[in-house]
Amino acid sequence: MSLVSLPFFIFICVLLILYYRMDSKHQWKILLLAGLFFHAWSNPYLIVFLLISIFAAWKLMLNPVKSHFVWVIVINLGILILFKYSVNLGVKDLAAPLGISYYTFMTIGYAHDCYDKKIEPQKNLFHYALFVSYFPQMTQGPIGVYQEMMPQFLNTHSFDPDNIKKGAYRILIGLFKKLVIAGRVAFYIDTVYSSPENFGGLTLITATFFYLIQLYADFSGYMDIVCGISQMLGISLKENFQRPYLAKSIPEYWRRWHISLNDWYRVHVYMPAVTAGWNRKLSKTMGKIFKKAKKGTLRLIYPTILVWTLTGIWHGAKFSYLAWGVYFAVIMLMSFCTQSYVKKINEKIHWNKDSIFVKIFQIIRTMIIVAVGELIFRSESFSDTMTIFKNIFTDTRISGSSIAAAMTPFGNGNQAAASMLIIAILIIMQAVVEISKERNEKAFTGHRYVYAALMMITIALFGVSGASNFMYQAF
Amino acid sequence: MKKIVITVITALAVICAAVIFKNVYSCEMPIKNRGIRDAINSGDLEVVFLGSSTFRANVDMPLMDEAYNGRVYDISYGGNELVATAIQYEEIKKRSPHDYGLFVFELGPMMLTQEVSLSDSRVIWDLSWGGKRKLWESMRSSGKTGLSVMYEYFVTSGMDDLITFPVTEPFYSTRYYKGAKTDETVSPGKDVLETEEFDISKEEFVKPQEDAVYDIIKACRSDGQDFIFVESPCYHRLQEDGKYKECRERYILLLEKEDVPYILADDVEFDTACADFFEDMNHMSAKGRKTYTKELIRVLKERKEK
Repeated sequence: MSLVSLPFFIFICVLLILYYRMDSKHQWKILLLAGLFFHAWSNPYLIVFLLISIFAAWKLMLNPVKSHFVWVIVINLGILILFKYSVNLGVKDLAAPLGISYYTFMTIGYAHDCYDKKIEPQKNLFHYALFVSYFPQMTQGPIGVYQEMMPQFLNTHSFDPDNIKKGAYRILIGLFKKLVIAGRVAFYIDTVYSSPENFGGLTLITATFFYLIQLYADFSGYMDIVCGISQMLGISLKENFQRPYLAKSIPEYWRRWHISLNDWYRVHVYMPAVTAGWNRKLSKTMGKIFKKAKKGTLRLIYPTILVWTLTGIWHGAKFSYLAWGVYFAVIMLMSFCTQSYVKKINEKIHWNKDSIFVKIFQIIRTMIIVAVGELIFRSESFSDTMTIFKNIFTDTRISGSSIAAAMTPFGNGNQAAASMLIIAILIIMQAVVEISKERNEKAFTGHRYVYAALMMITIALFGVSGASNFMYQAF
Repeated sequence: MKKIVITVITALAVICAAVIFKNVYSCEMPIKNRGIRDAINSGDLEVVFLGSSTFRANVDMPLMDEAYNGRVYDISYGGNELVATAIQYEEIKKRSPHDYGLFVFELGPMMLTQEVSLSDSRVIWDLSWGGKRKLWESMRSSGKTGLSVMYEYFVTSGMDDLITFPVTEPFYSTRYYKGAKTDETVSPGKDVLETEEFDISKEEFVKPQEDAVYDIIKACRSDGQDFIFVESPCYHRLQEDGKYKECRERYILLLEKEDVPYILADDVEFDTACADFFEDMNHMSAKGRKTYTKELIRVLKERKEK
């Protein structure tokens, strides 16, 4: 069931009626049933894997010993690998259960927290099942943390018109981002990236810039929709984005992008790896080779490589995903290793970090580094990546004809300029709406109604019908 | 609650107004140098071309102007197919008070294999509400429409142009002259044209397109309108393709059965193997366009004299 479909709209309306008419003690049961129904809608047979994952983690972690924790990892990762990499393992390409990546993360996170004694194991199977199967976060996250979500599920939620209003506004923002912004630039990107050899440098740069916009609009649009739905139910989900393209460095960028996934990796992979015995031994060996290097920096090397390689592979068994992971691992390591040198240089040249020009420079620099990574990620193959780089660096003329050529992926002649202009207007509108959303979270004042009306109009008149699948759903 | 209702009603009102404007009044928009409205505003015409982007790229309008004292116009749309052409003809005749000497329709063999669809959002702009409905009915009866196609057709398609019209129209009107392209397009070279991949072997005839040829013939005859079908030359690789030839034969057969005049690519002296004359398989470069138009004018004039 797509989040931008009529069946889903009906599903939400029915759910809200039942949820608020139900005795508050039983509201969580409605959410559990809704989650299972939502999951079963996509494929009723594959719900078995969700149930296996839920039951195994719940039962094993009732007694949170090491062997049980390992079993939870083996069972969950086993199912994930089976479905995600079946083709690479020589098995027939299998249709994966809905949200398998995300509930696997949540389950392992829960088991890890139980094992580390950070939380008490959940005694009630159905309560735990609700945590894993809560439908708004099932398909693309945010990856819920047990101790943040569980109390909210078990609280009573009375009908609050303000929550409904704010939630609906957030859904509108999400639909605007997804159907209008992401949907419209998708056509351009698909045209260019499907045959990059046919396009010049300016067109490829434009397509890559559009891809950054598409990624953000699609993914954060989804988050706005699910956060809005959750808000209507009185449950607040973790924010997954904080204006990532305004980050001034790559580490900061990753603290602002897909926050719940990065938090999960930090807590459950990165930090345990940093303190692990094998890492200490390896960094000691490295210390013997690089005698001047700081111990702290050496300890970060292997966990960083591990986390980024895993993140790359998590997207799928494709060269571009792995290359993307390695690229960001290298960038992150460069960032750690050169920190002290950069600081010294900055002091020498009296680089004023607070200057607006320096900040703009840092933002643009970060965006370019991210764009290179996403270019690798989006390319269909290694040869395509090379072709794109080659064309960007060898064909950088900016002339009337190159600008006209950069418009052609939107169609010949008439529609191209109009499409470009509309997209520029819509992107500015998105920025204004987002800034207003963050500035004034509590109040729902007059200008919000104007934005709401504008978004409804643009969704209806400029939305791309049929753009119902979200990009990160595939992962 | 009151504010929410006002917001929703305001948004719906704006949406409805935009949709009504697009569907009912867009044909009255002051589009220059192309389209049905501009053609009608040109007054009486000796020759009117009506076809796809092939006509747009392959007819040199300054040369035509010279030959016909400026009384000529080229109405063409990207990927225009025959069902739409029939509707466009009917629309011009209905809306125009002027006389037209000769209507030149496109004898594009592959047009017989096209699905009935909205090939160019400019079609939506140029047709009146009645024409739009008629084209939609044809699309619907061909069976390839759903709710999302309907939404696109009546709501979103062409909306970009409508909203950005004041900004984009002055820019784009300079790229056309009486409906034909003015760009000095050049050939990508023999190597490209000789290696460019195309596969039309699986194309199949589409019944509504054949019916549309009969509709055009019938409408012209009932209007007492002189008309002709003209095949624009393609690059020799396409021109000699087996499927292309098959479609061409079928088209010719249709016209001969109805005793309709036509001019084939072979009837006009033009070297289809000269790469300099083509931008791609079926669109000419500026050089090709000029060479072809000169010859086409000669053939058309000869026909008139006969």
